[in-house]
Amino acid sequence: MVRLADLPDYEREHLLAKNMPPLGPATWVASNKPLSELRIALVTTAGLHFRDDPTFEFTDATFRPISNDENANDLIMSHSSVNFDRTGFAEDVNLVYPIDRFKELEARGAIGSLANVHYSFMGAGLMPAEYQHSASQLAGMLKKDRVDAVFLTPV
Amino acid sequence: MCAISYYLERDNIMTTGISLVRENAASMAPPRSLWVPFPLGRPLGIANDPDFQHRVIAAALALFNSAQGPVLEDFPEDAPTQHTESALACPVTFVKPVTTATSWEDRLSDELNMLKPWYNLGKRRRNGRTLAGVSNSSIDEIIQRLATYLDTATLPITDLTWFKHATEDAKTYYLEAITAQPDDQDPDNLQTIFWTQTLLADALVILSEQLSSAPGLEQVARILVPRKALDRRANFSAAE
Repeated sequence: MVRLADLPDYEREHLLAKNMPPLGPATWVASNKPLSELRIALVTTAGLHFRDDPTFEFTDATFRPISNDENANDLIMSHSSVNFDRTGFAEDVNLVYPIDRFKELEARGAIGSLANVHYSFMGAGLMPAEYQHSASQLAGMLKKDRVDAVFLTPV
Repeated sequence: MCAISYYLERDNIMTTGISLVRENAASMAPPRSLWVPFPLGRPLGIANDPDFQHRVIAAALALFNSAQGPVLEDFPEDAPTQHTESALACPVTFVKPVTTATSWEDRLSDELNMLKPWYNLGKRRRNGRTLAGVSNSSIDEIIQRLATYLDTATLPITDLTWFKHATEDAKTYYLEAITAQPDDQDPDNLQTIFWTQTLLADALVILSEQLSSAPGLEQVARILVPRKALDRRANFSAAE
């Protein structure tokens, strides 16, 4: 449905304003294992966290951990944008954070394993380069968790 | 999302992911990206449809097979269009004004009381799941404080973070009440119901207008009411 031609002018312009050039020379890590051996973490920019966690600020490059063992149905959302639908996420956490689907893939051996911890950012109001520090921090944590690959979802 | 993907891959972690706006992914060129033609807020396409969600995930994971990148692929399926017979069919009939009360506090309180059983029903249907509560305030407190701003012609200057979270909590509460019964309502229709038929929407629009003319608070106004909501209200008024 997000075909720009279908949107009102102001909404199209708002989304096109987010077009940015690449952050630098292309980065590429070639896969050296089959999918069935990859350890995967989920990372979303949907502004998710548990009720006891700090909410996200209006603009915020930090991230929140989501343990693989915790009940994802307890996640809430403190995203600052008002320009997307939240009713689908209220209905089914997997619509934004597909943790049950990945647990099913793990159970059937389609992927190697899931990370101990997944993560959420809140993608709004910042220039892409402002996530560099947090993303590098996150990379270190993912490596400690022996993660090979990340599956990213926006909102 | 493109930035996180870029930086993780630079730190030697493979990434793949979903993009909701193809043009954004095409310009930033993250290593692997699957564009999906779904509404913002619904990157996996359809709620409570594991088979569909698995097809989206499989398409994004298949990008790991690409020999080189960046790679941007299009997901070939649209999410099925929600049926429209129930468009604007809401479990609660919003008839404004819902009461003879004149103060915002009384009027909003009446509207909230009408919605409470539906919110509770929806919460039970979702096995206790609710997205309301980000502000850590009860819905009664939120509605009372929002009404006080309007009744006393004051602005929420001192606690903008609470104010933003509280308004989202209130919207969430209303939308979860409106979707109390299982249905496949188009998200667009739900937004139209909320923004054209509720007193809370009137309250948020007025607060947004007041904030937009207060020096330093214009940005808060912009993250209170989406531009599209104002269009919906204008179209609804014109049709009436």
